[in-house]
Amino acid sequence: MLKLLKEIFRTGEATVKYPFAPMPVCKDFRGKPEHKAEDCIACAACTVACPANAIQMETDTAAGTRTWSINYGRCVFCGRCEESCPTGAIRLSDDFELAVGSKADLTRKAVFTLADCACCGKPFAPAKEVDYVARLLSQSARGAEEADRLRLTASTCPACKRAQDVQQIAGMGIARQMEAGLSKAGKPAKELETTP
Amino acid sequence: MNVPVDPKTLVAEMTPVSTSEQIATMKKALLKSIQRSAYVYRVDCGGCNGCEIEIFSSITPVFDAERFGIKVVASPRHADILLFTGAVTRSMRMPALRAYEAAPDPKIVVSYGACGCTGGIFHDLYCVWGGTDHIVPVDVYIPGCPPTPAATIHGFAVALGLLEQKLKAETHVEAAGETAALPHPDIPYALRVRLEREARRMAGYRQGGDIAEEFMALLEGHAHTPGSFSLSERMMEAIGEERDPRRAEIIGRLADVVQQAVRGEAA
Ligand code: SF4
Ligand code: SF4
Ligand code: SF4
Repeated sequence: MLKLLKEIFRTGEATVKYPFAPMPVCKDFRGKPEHKAEDCIACAACTVACPANAIQMETDTAAGTRTWSINYGRCVFCGRCEESCPTGAIRLSDDFELAVGSKADLTRKAVFTLADCACCGKPFAPAKEVDYVARLLSQSARGAEEADRLRLTASTCPACKRAQDVQQIAGMGIARQMEAGLSKAGKPAKELETTP
Repeated sequence: MNVPVDPKTLVAEMTPVSTSEQIATMKKALLKSIQRSAYVYRVDCGGCNGCEIEIFSSITPVFDAERFGIKVVASPRHADILLFTGAVTRSMRMPALRAYEAAPDPKIVVSYGACGCTGGIFHDLYCVWGGTDHIVPVDVYIPGCPPTPAATIHGFAVALGLLEQKLKAETHVEAAGETAALPHPDIPYALRVRLEREARRMAGYRQGGDIAEEFMALLEGHAHTPGSFSLSERMMEAIGEERDPRRAEIIGRLADVVQQAVRGEAA
């Protein structure tokens, strides 16, 4: 009996104090994904990575907005969103106290504005993303002129870029053939027809 | 021919069971003056069993939900709280409804785990209803996959009205002129990519990213306070201070990457 009591005192109390005292969590605990909308560029990398589709994006071109949303009720706390985020806007926190009485309280949203294409004027990507990419690209630019050109490229939509590329390549091809044709003076007419 | 199909038309929608007003007032009274133990009956509606394991770990001596009188019982007829886990598979709908009907009114329905809340990772499977609230009215949602025992206890406390819920629905609207800061503007972009790639190659995505962040902070600290130390001396100091040999090796490797980049060698 005495031995048993001794053993009990030696062991002490195993039960945690939670919820009367805060619960310590281990390092790298994967709790609620905390989204800092100020740092988010609405690039949708997390949306693609999220295996449970807890993070979703909705683009409304008429209103010119893109809405990011997360449903904590669907999240499986895998951490793939934080792995894929280029700006570190989403991080899994220590917070595990997520119980709610109404389902609507499980969602969080962030609304971002869309930027218009510098060429055709149609909305094509979030303004913050375009701005971020332009600054990132001009970081490695050699001069102010190249930085301006990179910024312009970043603010052009893919369709316009493609059209411009086709035009450029076509122009280059003709110029090259003209050069080739002129160097072999005498028979330029035939070679002009070949594609670049 | 190829008309897009609205997925909603492919799934039959069930009207969930609704409760009468009388029962709702009874439930409020129960929540207000529950002066006794609350008995929990667990309804597994087709989860992966992760949630069940966590429910049982929350009644172990370490978490000891029974100190609040929360006791898991074997029959829905003894239950005050029904705990629905799993994404509600088609075949579990009727058994779940039978358990619901068998529990005496007023009863509190708790939806447990990501599966119970919304269907979780299984939400778009053909064979699930995707959440407890598709079949019965739910009072409390406990998200998590699975919720930890502490989260379970917090959920019960919310269900019994002992604690307030912490989450609130929020919408952030982009402010005019809001921009995201570029990380480490002083470090050339190409070098940053090389460092992050090397750290992640050696330590995995998450920890590698963290180590690369720490290392770049170190590098920037050096750029801002160019004292008597040279860059390599600083690196050696950081490696020497590191207690974990694995981290020391990674930091050493990152220092090599910086030296390579300084000498202009390709990756
Ligand atoms: S932790 Fe996983 S499931 Fe949760 S939001 Fe991030 S990617 Fe999605
Ligand atoms: S990956 Fe990061 S920056 Fe991109 S949308 Fe998600 S949270 Fe925002
Ligand atoms: S929420 Fe996660 S742990 Fe629980 S049953 Fe669903 S998949 Fe399994």
